Amino acid sequence: MKIPCIMDCDPGHDDAIALILAYGSDKIEIRAVTTTAGNQTIEKTTNNALRIMTFLGAKIPVAPGCAKPLFRDLIIAPEVHGESGLDGPVLPEPAYEAEPVHAVELMAETVKNSNEKITIVPTGALTNVALFLLTYPELKDRIERISLMGGACWGGNWTPAAEFNILVDPEAARIVFESGIPITMSGLDVTHKAYIADDDRERFRKTGTKTAVMVAELLDFFAKFHDENFDFHGSPLHDPCAVAWLIAPEIFTGRDCHVEIETTGKLTTGSTVVDFYNVLKKEKNATVLFDIDREKFVDLLAGHLEEMP
Amino acid sequence: MNKNKMGRPVLIDCDPGIDDALAIFMALASEELNVEAITTVAGNVPVGLTAINALKLVEMAGFEVEVAAGAANPLYTKKKTAESVHGRNGIGDIELPSPKGSLSKRSALELIHDKALQQKGNLEIIATGPLTNVALALTVYPDLKNLVRHIWIMGGSAYSGNRTPAAEFNIFADAHAASIVFASGIPLTMCGLDVTNRALIYKEDIERLSQFKSDVARKSAEMLLWYLKFYNSFGFEGVAMHDPFTVAAAIDPSLIETKHLHVDVETEGEFTLGQTVVDLLKVSGKPPNAYVALELDKKRFVELFEKLMNFYE
Repeated sequence: MKIPCIMDCDPGHDDAIALILAYGSDKIEIRAVTTTAGNQTIEKTTNNALRIMTFLGAKIPVAPGCAKPLFRDLIIAPEVHGESGLDGPVLPEPAYEAEPVHAVELMAETVKNSNEKITIVPTGALTNVALFLLTYPELKDRIERISLMGGACWGGNWTPAAEFNILVDPEAARIVFESGIPITMSGLDVTHKAYIADDDRERFRKTGTKTAVMVAELLDFFAKFHDENFDFHGSPLHDPCAVAWLIAPEIFTGRDCHVEIETTGKLTTGSTVVDFYNVLKKEKNATVLFDIDREKFVDLLAGHLEEMP
Repeated sequence: MNKNKMGRPVLIDCDPGIDDALAIFMALASEELNVEAITTVAGNVPVGLTAINALKLVEMAGFEVEVAAGAANPLYTKKKTAESVHGRNGIGDIELPSPKGSLSKRSALELIHDKALQQKGNLEIIATGPLTNVALALTVYPDLKNLVRHIWIMGGSAYSGNRTPAAEFNIFADAHAASIVFASGIPLTMCGLDVTNRALIYKEDIERLSQFKSDVARKSAEMLLWYLKFYNSFGFEGVAMHDPFTVAAAIDPSLIETKHLHVDVETEGEFTLGQTVVDLLKVSGKPPNAYVALELDKKRFVELFEKLMNFYE
C-alpha cells in the first residue's frame, strides 16, 4: 500500500524536487499539496506548486496557506531561489487553479476523507501544520507521522544557530515538535551530506527525459548560490531527504532524541536544540537523521527520474 | 622549588576542581610557561574553597605563586555549582595538607591587572572556570584588553553541550561574562568540548600514575580515580581532561587544530543560555574572534601529561 501524504511546501528548488520524487515514487501517494510562505511569498510558492503539478501532468489539489508566520514577519530567500522562487527552468503556466480553501482546511478534509492515517511532509516553515494541529486537535491521532525538513543538531544555515525553515516560524515549529506526533527530522546534519555534485547533475541531464532535464536545470540555478556562498561541496538537496526517508529509510541513520525549539534566544532563535547526549533524560520526541548513503540517494533520485516522462 | 624563569608568563584563572588541579600541576611543571599568579572563581564549588584548594595545590607542588580569590557569583545569573562532579571540597573529597601561606591581599581583578601591567603586554590568561573574573577585570580596567596577549579558554562547544544540550558548564555558569570576554577583541583560543571530550585518560593511564612516587602524582591519581567513577556512570570509558588539555594546548599549540571563526555567547535563550554560538558556515558576516579548537593530537597530549607528572619525581 502506498503511503498517503500531504506535501506542505514552499517551492523552492529543493521543494520542487521533493514533489517530483514523491510523485514519481510507487511508494507514495500525494493526496494534497499545501503551500507555505518562506522561500518566497505565498502567492509565488502557490503558483510554483501549481506549475510543478502541471508540468508533471498531475491534478492533485493545491491550497495556499498563511501569508506570514504565526507571530513574526516573513523572511524570504530570493538569493537562493530567485525572484519567482523557482528561477531557472522554463515551466508551464498552471493548468488549474488552487482550491478555494485555506491549506489548513484542505489538510483537515484530506485527513477526514482518508481511511488510512496520513503522513505530513513539511519542507517549509511549519506555520500550516501548527495551525492545523491547533484548529483540529481531534485529528492529531489520524496523523501517522511528520517527516519534515528543518533544523539542525549542530550549526545553522541562515544564522549560525538556526536553519531557515525553523527560523522562519519558530513558534509554529515548537507547536509541532511538542505535539506528540512521531517526527522524523531531516536537518542540516543529514541534508548537507545529501548533496548533488556537478557530475550527478549531468547524469540527470543525460537521462534525457523531460523531467530529468528540468531537475538538472533547477540544480543549475541552485548550485550557483551554494558555490558562491559556502565552502562545502555541491548543492545540498535538503527537502528531498524528507521524502527519500519515506521511500528508503534504510539509506539513512538517525537517533531518537529530545528536541526543543528555541524561541527567545538573542542569537539562537529558531535553533532546534537536540539533546544528542541525552543530558536532560526527557522524552524523545523526534528521530533526528544524521547520515545518509549519498550514492544510494543519488541513485534513488536518478532511478525515479529515468522512470518518469 | 623554582624553575628557571624563561617560560611565557601566564595567569591561571580557575575553579579547582579536579581537572583544574591537574591543570595547575601541569602548568607549574612546564618549562614553556611561567605561572605568574592564580586567581580563582566560583564554579565547580564556591569561591572560598576554590581559592584554598589552589593554594594547597601550589604548595604541594613546591611552588610559590600568589593566589587571589575572585568573584563569588556570576555577573547576572544565579550561581551554579557542580559538587556532584567534583566532590564537596571540589577535589574529589581527597584531603590535602593545610596551606602554610595565605591568600593574596589583592583582589583577583587587581592581581590580573597588576600582572598584565608588569608583563607589558606579554601576559597570557588560561581560564579553566567560568569567566566572571576575566570579564570583571576587562570591565573595571578597560586598558586590560591591550595588555593581554592571548586568552586560552576551557569552555563552550561548537557542537553539543554537557550541562544542557546546548551549553557547556563553564560558559553556562556565567554566560554574560563569557559574552564580554569573547567580544573583548583579545586573541583567544577556545578549547571546548569538541576537543576536551576526546582528551581522555583511561584507567590504565591512571594506574600507571599511581605507581609514581611524588605526592603530586599520587594525589592526582586518587583524584582521577574518583573522577573516573563519575565519567563511567554516564558511559564515558575515560576521564575527559578538560582543563589539563587546555593548559597542554597553551604549552604546545601544535596539539590542536583550530578554525578562526566568529563566536558569540547566548545570554537569553530559554533552552540555549550559555551556548557558544560558533559560526561554522560563516553565515553571520561577522569577523572571526576566536580560534576554535576542533581537532587534537590525543596521543601526544597523554605523553605530555605524563612527562609533566614526571617533573615531580
